[in-house]
Amino acid sequence: MNILLRRSLYLALLIALALSTASSAEKPPADDKFKLGDLIEPFTPPLLAELDKTADWQDMPVVDPMEELRDQKKKEPPLVSVEEALRLHNDSPEDNKKIISALSMVPPADGKGANFDASIGRCQVMDLASTNPLLMSSFAEAEFGDLTALFIINFDWNLVPFADANAVVSWKASKDHLLDKIVLRDDLVWSDGKPITAHDVVFTFQAIMTSKIPIPAVRSGPDQIKWVEAYDDHTLVFFHKAAQATNTWDLNFPIIPKHIFEKSIPEDPTLTTSAFHTQQQLKPVVGGPYELIEWNRGSNLVMQRRENFYMHNGKQVRGKPFFKEVTFHLLEDGNTRLLALKSGRIQETELEAQQWQTQTSGRDFYDSNTKAYGNEWLYMYIGWNLKTPFFEDVRVRQAMACAMNYDEMINDLCYGLYPRCHGIFAPDAWMYPKHPLPLYEFNLDKAEKLLDEAGWIDTDGDGIRDKEVNGKRIPFEFNLTVSLKPDRIDICNLLRENLDSIGVICHVVPMEAAVFQERVQNKKYEAEMAGWGTGTDPSLTSNIFGTGEDRNFGSYSNPKVDALYKAGLLEFDPQKRAEIYGEIANLIYADQPYMFLYNQNRFFGFSHSLRGYRFSPRGPYAYVPGVMSLWMP
Amino acid sequence: MSIGPNITPPLADAPAADPQQLETSRGFWAETWLRFRRRKLAMVALAYVLFMACVALFSPAIAGTKPIICKYKGHIYFPALGYFHRSWENPIFVTDHFRNVYPAKLKESDPESWALWPLVYQDPQRRVRADEWPDHPANPTRDKGHPNSLNLFGTTRAGVDVFAEMVHGTRTAMLVGFVSMGIAGAIGITLGAFAGYLGGWADMLLSRLIEFVMCIPPLVLILALIAVLPHPTIWHLMAVLGLTSWTGIARLMRGEFIRLREADFVTAARAVGVGWFGIMFRHIFRNGLAPVLVPITFGIASAILIESALSFLGFGAPPPNPSWGALLEAGRDNLQMWWLIAFPGLAIFFTVLAYNLIGEGLQEATDPRLRQPGN
Repeated sequence: MNILLRRSLYLALLIALALSTASSAEKPPADDKFKLGDLIEPFTPPLLAELDKTADWQDMPVVDPMEELRDQKKKEPPLVSVEEALRLHNDSPEDNKKIISALSMVPPADGKGANFDASIGRCQVMDLASTNPLLMSSFAEAEFGDLTALFIINFDWNLVPFADANAVVSWKASKDHLLDKIVLRDDLVWSDGKPITAHDVVFTFQAIMTSKIPIPAVRSGPDQIKWVEAYDDHTLVFFHKAAQATNTWDLNFPIIPKHIFEKSIPEDPTLTTSAFHTQQQLKPVVGGPYELIEWNRGSNLVMQRRENFYMHNGKQVRGKPFFKEVTFHLLEDGNTRLLALKSGRIQETELEAQQWQTQTSGRDFYDSNTKAYGNEWLYMYIGWNLKTPFFEDVRVRQAMACAMNYDEMINDLCYGLYPRCHGIFAPDAWMYPKHPLPLYEFNLDKAEKLLDEAGWIDTDGDGIRDKEVNGKRIPFEFNLTVSLKPDRIDICNLLRENLDSIGVICHVVPMEAAVFQERVQNKKYEAEMAGWGTGTDPSLTSNIFGTGEDRNFGSYSNPKVDALYKAGLLEFDPQKRAEIYGEIANLIYADQPYMFLYNQNRFFGFSHSLRGYRFSPRGPYAYVPGVMSLWMP
Repeated sequence: MSIGPNITPPLADAPAADPQQLETSRGFWAETWLRFRRRKLAMVALAYVLFMACVALFSPAIAGTKPIICKYKGHIYFPALGYFHRSWENPIFVTDHFRNVYPAKLKESDPESWALWPLVYQDPQRRVRADEWPDHPANPTRDKGHPNSLNLFGTTRAGVDVFAEMVHGTRTAMLVGFVSMGIAGAIGITLGAFAGYLGGWADMLLSRLIEFVMCIPPLVLILALIAVLPHPTIWHLMAVLGLTSWTGIARLMRGEFIRLREADFVTAARAVGVGWFGIMFRHIFRNGLAPVLVPITFGIASAILIESALSFLGFGAPPPNPSWGALLEAGRDNLQMWWLIAFPGLAIFFTVLAYNLIGEGLQEATDPRLRQPGN
């Protein structure tokens, strides 16, 4: 259920926009005839019996996410009672731990103690562009997908992948890692009552791999699959192009109903414009636990529990989703969201750091709410455009790293709420280097020395460093673009102040998010401040730091890093993989394509009535069970 | 030779001029000034604006961390001018690794040096840190910067002194008003004058141009410009405001020219052979200027408001440029930091009010219909 752009990392908190508008723009000429799955190389799958003979199938995990969470909770007894936790004020990491440990409890398998008639109000910062899971690309669409879409492969709070027992009977992989055999359950139905079969999966794969369908994010991943074959209504075999450690993640895509889209897609490959597709947008046929019943654009979105998701032929076959109704309210402004939480209109919301620090400590907040945070693998950075004459030299980038007053940034500008960033992987991640490089410290003398070495010296005596580049003397004066967020602007301004004092002129240019993103994606910038959330697998960062990759906006290139990314894909031993990615992290930290600033925690306010929230490196919802473990007593 | 309706006829022709009459028969502007002076509120407003202009002009001497004047290694320097423009601060201080902190470094690098410091040791662009100035702790950050004896108006989240930022922000506010209305006035008066004086097809064309420009919403244009420009500054903002807000002025000027071009004194001037340029700008313009001053004054007020509004929305002058609106914006997310809202809010309120009072005073002082006997 819970897939947030697996291959593609999401731009942290730059939520506003669809991620890769570029790929959706790649439309073939209009006179091309529509062909389903035209991006798939022709392939004739062998018979299943032959495969069974040669594959040497290995068992792979099939997990019921709620059961896994219940088992986990048994191992972590609550540190305080629920009543105490609700009385606590979250003023220290210990309090935070206590609150989460008590309130993350889940009801037993029979659902005793849970109020199944409860409804929950949640909020989204922006409206959905589409309700079709294949078109999802923003944060809001991913959260909608978590509730309504059907996934075969999912992952838990440790970002460990498994087949979801709600949909799968068994999962086997061939010993050479080139095949995956999955048997689907026979009690799965779409929200219109038609059975969900292996043919839907094949059809979905073909649709994803159709050039005429403008798929923004979901295609990266499945495009590494050679073919998917349905040997009967429930048995599927995935044929991979190569034996890679990330093959499992490629199976992690949402399924759409074949009987709905089979005829309509050739008529309208955009999935959005025809009358039929417009109607499907408003009332999509879905395979997940909730279905959309009302969508008031720009205002709210109401989802209802699907009875035929957990009941089959009058028998309960899956865990009953806890809420009768889930409503997404669209609230763009942070202050409005907080007010909505305080007034009880919504039961959870993300809080901004300064709201956490200064506006949620009083009785007006704690009377009916509590708050908690988790350490996320989300880091903020200032990225340099290595194609500009300023930042091509690694010494200049190192000088920049020495020109940041990290202590003041962390303790004053970030309220002391965030830890410093140690590079592309968080210190508690399995791929974090065993022998990390020492962090850069604030040292303007060293910065000046490095700039001198790099040839940036004030030769014309105007107080600004300059250097001859291609026969022209240019001053060290660059723009640092940042989105319109006061806290980020303050951090950029701190760097500006330090640079100014050593003869480097930095103009802080705050920009509206859409313009910012456009500039960065088109590489029309000199320096930018932004952040990356974590994907599910460290190999995904190759599209940020690999030479010439999609999200390598700063044009960073290091052949050693490229080679290690390749090696990491082919390595199956977890220990060795960790070493490879640790080495990549060290190389990148030494090269400083980014100035690594801080790891941003995300803060949430929860109503007293809410239980079952648990934090992962991707926040409390973007994993399984994630949002599905929320409940009310 | 010029004969205007409000200009005293040559006295030489008047038989036995009464000294009393000599005194009372003032020119139009003198008359206006006299009437304006009688309006207490308008005079207070004018004094306030002049005071603000002084604050703007002398801002680096009021609040700053750079000496107004100093002797260093045998030369006299004026580092505080760097607040006006970076290049006006002698680069020797960068070369000598002052790192923008002068007090200790001056003595350390040259024990013979002396300096005259601004009244308040606070910087509008950065936080003052511990030990820069004797007995001066670091400025408080987060939301702890309540107004106190060192930070008269408190500090921002990043520890920048609000008083210093407001003093230097006065410059922005004054500049925005005067520059944008200067541009608008120049364009509006010229185009309005030609349209009114020439009439005919020229008037037709210029009037259509005026209507066209009236349709352009300045805020949208500014937002679009910010998106397109690689490095938008406050000057772009002033230019856009100036280039879009001249239409009212042009219309008024055109009306005045149409009215006055048929006046007797114009006919007389024409009769004695004054050229068109002389008639337009020596005779008609001077007599038609009064009604135009009023929208210009109101325009200054609204330009200040627009700049503050843009900064409030985050589209104003980028940091570290000090701006009242930017302070307000910082206060919007931190309502408990009341000093971020109260002080700049009051400054904006009073400044806009002052301009409006001046405008109103001017309007009443120049309007002959409001002239009462003895007034």
